[in-house]
Amino acid sequence: MMRIKTVNFIIAAFFIVFLVLPLCSMLHRITAEGFLSLVKMPQFKSAVKNTIVTSLTATAISVIIAFLAAWCLERTSIKFKSVFAMMFVLPMLIPSISHAFGLVSLFGANGFLTNIFKLKRSIYGFVGILAGSVMYSFPVAFLMFDGVLKYEDCTAYKAAEVLGIDAFHRFSAITVPYLKKTLISVFFAVFTMIVTDYGVPLMVGGKTVTLSVLMFNRAVSMIDYDSGSVIGAILLIPAVVAFLVDFFNKDNGQSSFITESAQLRGGPCLLPAYCYCILLCLCVLAPVVSFCFMFLETKYPVNREFTVSHVIRTINRGAGTYLLNSLIYAVLSAISGTVFAFCCSYLTARVKNTYSKILHLISITSMAIPGIVLGLSYVIFFHNTPVYSTAIIVVLANMIHFFSSPYLMMYNTLGKVNMNLESVGMILGVGRLRIVFDVIVPKVRCTLFEMFGYFFVNSMMTISAVAFLAPPSPKPVALMINQFEAQRLMESAAFVSLLILAVNLFMKGVIILLEKRDVLKAS
Amino acid sequence: MEIFMKNKLEIREITKRFGDSEVLENVSFDVADGEFLSVLGPSGCGKTTLLRILIGLLKPDSGRIFKDDTDITDYKCDSRGMGIVFQNYALFENMTALQNVEYALKFHGKSKSEARETAMNMLSAVDLAEHSGKKPKYLSGGQQQRVAIARTLVLNPDIVLFDEPMSALDIAARLAMRKELKNLQKRFGTTMIYVTHDQEEAFSMSDRIMILDKGNISQIDTPENICRYPADNYVKTFVLDNLQAKIDSLSRFTSIGCNGKV
Repeated sequence: MMRIKTVNFIIAAFFIVFLVLPLCSMLHRITAEGFLSLVKMPQFKSAVKNTIVTSLTATAISVIIAFLAAWCLERTSIKFKSVFAMMFVLPMLIPSISHAFGLVSLFGANGFLTNIFKLKRSIYGFVGILAGSVMYSFPVAFLMFDGVLKYEDCTAYKAAEVLGIDAFHRFSAITVPYLKKTLISVFFAVFTMIVTDYGVPLMVGGKTVTLSVLMFNRAVSMIDYDSGSVIGAILLIPAVVAFLVDFFNKDNGQSSFITESAQLRGGPCLLPAYCYCILLCLCVLAPVVSFCFMFLETKYPVNREFTVSHVIRTINRGAGTYLLNSLIYAVLSAISGTVFAFCCSYLTARVKNTYSKILHLISITSMAIPGIVLGLSYVIFFHNTPVYSTAIIVVLANMIHFFSSPYLMMYNTLGKVNMNLESVGMILGVGRLRIVFDVIVPKVRCTLFEMFGYFFVNSMMTISAVAFLAPPSPKPVALMINQFEAQRLMESAAFVSLLILAVNLFMKGVIILLEKRDVLKAS
Repeated sequence: MEIFMKNKLEIREITKRFGDSEVLENVSFDVADGEFLSVLGPSGCGKTTLLRILIGLLKPDSGRIFKDDTDITDYKCDSRGMGIVFQNYALFENMTALQNVEYALKFHGKSKSEARETAMNMLSAVDLAEHSGKKPKYLSGGQQQRVAIARTLVLNPDIVLFDEPMSALDIAARLAMRKELKNLQKRFGTTMIYVTHDQEEAFSMSDRIMILDKGNISQIDTPENICRYPADNYVKTFVLDNLQAKIDSLSRFTSIGCNGKV
């Protein structure tokens, strides 16, 4: 029992020092004058307007695209479903800023598609933010819809069919109510993602400045932490609202009791489904392909000869070292994050007391904190401490920033493991720790792999918090995309984006292999 | 017959509350050495709570527990000399049947080979020797149940508690298991306390039955005496009427017999 208390204490202290206090110190910086002077700025008003308009539009588009994609995969009998599913989540493996950069490479002044189709309209501005935001947020929505549609019980549909209810009424009376809660969750998750991201609007926003970009400009470029804090606090509002809505909107419609999972055959809409999925794949792949052209051609569009000189030059500019830095950050964040999230979820899922309820609440609340807000809070709070501008603070920020999703993965898994195992251990005279290592860890190993992968992939591509925190050396590779683009070194930016994609794809592959091996071993 | 037997366990005025609701109210009873006592009651009557208090997983708010005249109320659960078999078995799924049974022995000062031998003997006792290398998911419900029993018995407890152990088994496995439990009890001389909500199960296996209603003991007596002299209306409706309904439905077949001959 003593050990549990110690772990409890360590985790509580960790959350207080690395989450609560930094946030408080950021909020503490807000003054009435600072707030008023910011509000009076014309930039601010337009930023609020731009943020609301772009985010709402992008969220709506993203949700619709994702829903249709999930519908095609789960409700029609098209082939290659797993290939499509893998393609649809590919955008999750590259930083948001690379999506924006992909748009630039396709539709920019000298973009591939601009040149082919002689496009006149500039990508910079509202349209660019919209397209970029949709690109990187729709996979999240897709995964959420797919999970729910996959596990829908189909007995209701069969009963409706027997009763002679037509397809439209089946949809409105069964599917819509079933998806209502998921829809709300997806909407808020995507909205928060888009509002708080600054990678896309920073690169393709042009004159359309959003709140997150304004905050980035103020806090990072102008080192004006006071205005930054005010905007940070404002950005917290949608995130907190989204969190609260999601919190009271529990039970994502997944019935615990599925007699037959719905696999309804859709004959007539087969061709449209194929067209839609293939089109979506092309959209996902287009930037990747354009990146490849970009760094393998001597000088697009002037000299289109094949060359590897860009690769060599990019590596000479430090891409190799930065990549190594990022790998180290990602591995450290993944190891420490997985261990921390496991301990936390173990306490909340299997050692039930008043304290564990509070801990659970804190753990899922951390989801509501945008990366830029976390980054600024850390800068303000840790400014005069030895950890400031070191590798340690980057790893810590990643641990907290990406904590809640892996935490919830493990929380759900541990909740399903027989609750009497520790009791059995106690009665057999075997300590809790031994039972955890000998029985529970082997049981949840697959989830551990997934958590590790999640921390790794996200730490590899994050720019939000680390833009504030990363020391000049060792600097993570994702931050170079923006830097290269600003120096008009397009080939290098493309190459770095692809490097991150390659590493993350490799990691995903390793995780899948490990899980497969684990399933084999268990039998 | 209990009069001549020594008391193995004496429970004195156990009370347990969860928040405002009182789950057990001044519960006192004795269990004789080698007895098979069933605790019978509907869900929510406090029977599982009582079991968890007996084994030491829960602390009572007040009251004492004596085992062989020693007060064990404050003993840790692994030093009470008791074992428990849970409803869902709680087997270690990553280990084989044999590893499940030998696992705890290693923590009780046995060498690897000793542990293996003891565990194997125990598996033979529950008729599972040939399945010793299989993981739980390749065993039937009844076989998993027997692994759980072997895992408990291998540490030589003198009292074994059962928490609705047969609720997940089909009827054939239940009938087989009832016989097996009685055999094991004879063989090892273990005192058994068996929690169930199934009247038929309690009446077919027990030396005595304790009927719990909302945290109070309604009656504790032999099956025969409960049938003859139900203590109150609750015992009559919950226990005897239910039992009678089963007997009635079966009596249609008594003239036919179960071997198909008239």
